[in-house]
Amino acid sequence: MTDVSLAAVLPLLGAFVLPLTRHGILRPLGPVIGPILLAACALILFAAWSAYDVPYAVALGSFAPPMGITFYIDDLALLFALAVPLTTLVLWPGESDPAATGRQSLTLLLAGSLTGLALSGDLFNVYVFYELAAVASYGLVVGDGRSPAYVAAFRYLMISALGSVVGLIGIAIIYFKTGTLNLADLSTLSGELADPQGMAAFAMLVIGFGVKAEAFPVNGWVPEVYGAVGKRVAALLAGLASKLAVLVIVRILILVFPHDETRQLLLVLGILGVAVGELAAWQARDIPRMLAWSSIGQLGVVFVAFSLPGKAGVIAGVTVAMHHLVVKSALFLLADRWDRAIESLKGAASTSRIGAALFVLFSLSLLGLPPLPGFWSKFLVLGGLAASASPLQLLAMGTILAGTVIEGAYLLRVVVTFYARPDAAVRVPGQRAGNLLGAGLFALVLLTAAVMINPLWQGLEVLAERAVDTNGYQHTVLGDREAGR
Amino acid sequence: MSTSVGLVFFIGAIGLCVIGITGIVLSRHLFRMVLALAIAEAGANLLLILAGYRWDAVAPIFTGTAGGQAMVDPVPQAMVLTAIVIGVGVQALALSLVIRIKERYGTLDMQEARQCMQDDLDDAGGVTPSRSRERPAGERPIPAPTVLNSTGGQHD
Repeated sequence: MTDVSLAAVLPLLGAFVLPLTRHGILRPLGPVIGPILLAACALILFAAWSAYDVPYAVALGSFAPPMGITFYIDDLALLFALAVPLTTLVLWPGESDPAATGRQSLTLLLAGSLTGLALSGDLFNVYVFYELAAVASYGLVVGDGRSPAYVAAFRYLMISALGSVVGLIGIAIIYFKTGTLNLADLSTLSGELADPQGMAAFAMLVIGFGVKAEAFPVNGWVPEVYGAVGKRVAALLAGLASKLAVLVIVRILILVFPHDETRQLLLVLGILGVAVGELAAWQARDIPRMLAWSSIGQLGVVFVAFSLPGKAGVIAGVTVAMHHLVVKSALFLLADRWDRAIESLKGAASTSRIGAALFVLFSLSLLGLPPLPGFWSKFLVLGGLAASASPLQLLAMGTILAGTVIEGAYLLRVVVTFYARPDAAVRVPGQRAGNLLGAGLFALVLLTAAVMINPLWQGLEVLAERAVDTNGYQHTVLGDREAGR
Repeated sequence: MSTSVGLVFFIGAIGLCVIGITGIVLSRHLFRMVLALAIAEAGANLLLILAGYRWDAVAPIFTGTAGGQAMVDPVPQAMVLTAIVIGVGVQALALSLVIRIKERYGTLDMQEARQCMQDDLDDAGGVTPSRSRERPAGERPIPAPTVLNSTGGQHD
């Protein structure tokens, strides 16, 4: 019986062991440590999902909650946690230049802290893992030493640090009012946080954790960073890191602040994100920044989805988030060699037929063409909004639909350019085999999801039911009080 | 007595946060931004300490000798200890980034550095500069580094 907390610990351990393999007898181990550890984490999490009776809680170091630190393991946590090692494996920086060891080490650090973020059951731990992920991502942004990356990283660091200060103030307010940071304990006390002070605390936490989740007011770093860094790192940040930050906000929303006002706040931020992101993406003239702005718009949709009350919100939110994880990671992988102005990519389809075809597939899914999963994700969000049609939700519906039209305009503009007659003067670079393989794997996931829509739906229903069950959460963490496994 | 002292601490903590956040948002000089960040973090940490502080209690260190005496809540203190360590690390990282920016672009001004970054990103992507009217369409008339050095020096 392996402890599921190993999934967070192993990559952290690997991150510190990896630099030791630069010299000496451990040298041949260097390139393989990372992938092996990540595969082991994926196996541990998969075993936990299939073998144990979820949900259950792990008390680290045998200190019983609410005093000790807990990991809470349910389907929602495991789904997001499992996405971390799998996505990181596909996006693994496997180059062999001298700086590669550092980059791999930081990638492992990011993977470990993101897994911890998915499993953590108290705000203290969430804060620590979040900061760890943030530091790892600053390192990854400046990893290949391009000049614009330094400025982008500095701005990212400043916005992120500002966010953590605001988030810390939010945590201080919560602690002042309740005297605990354990999420299960807080959810029993959620009535005490239903006043303006509690709302302020929630707003501050959303600002704090929203920096990585590309939430509306604190997303100024996104286009600069994704434009300046290597596109594999951009895929990791846009695809993976943002989703784990969203998961943290959702956990806090469901467990601690299950009020209408907090949902409305998330809804408004989501609407603004969609509007700003899609309009700016339409203006963008190169592929990386277009994808960056479009990812802000997509995360706006994720926020709108999670603002729906009850099970419907979780189902819609998880679908949109996972779909965006797959699609945006793949699109950034394809943008690795095509990171330039759109008009200079005329005739890209003739140099890399597969690359262009994959780009079309992911674009269509992002737009929501019916057989592809993107359609179902948007359908669930719009259906949920229509079901409880308050004026604000109708506005959200209109914004998402208008956003889809704009999305269509800019994505199809790229597709048309790809399939235009190639310009004799400009040579479009072909795709690297590794990137094509990664994007192909993501395409396989997408198409499998499109075929397996029925079993996936049933799985999601169970997942959502357990995720919104706050009584179950409290009972699992506080009631059993079993000593650490 | 203790409530009024506590009030002073609260006002101090919130004041530090406000000063720091205002500084980050309004200042253009990179080094000032880092300093403002340090101030804001100090404010947030003080606020967190205050959330669990008791005036009549001792430090939460279990010595095994004297029993029955009230202790200060250890959770916020542990959290602030972690936050201080993270804060110092992030500030050091920010300073090293400032050094690199000065090396590469020769400026410590946020807006100039951002402009340089945008130009570099546009150049790398092959996007022709169309939005800026001041920027000549062809080559830069004066070698860029010397110009930037002189303007960067004014802000030091």
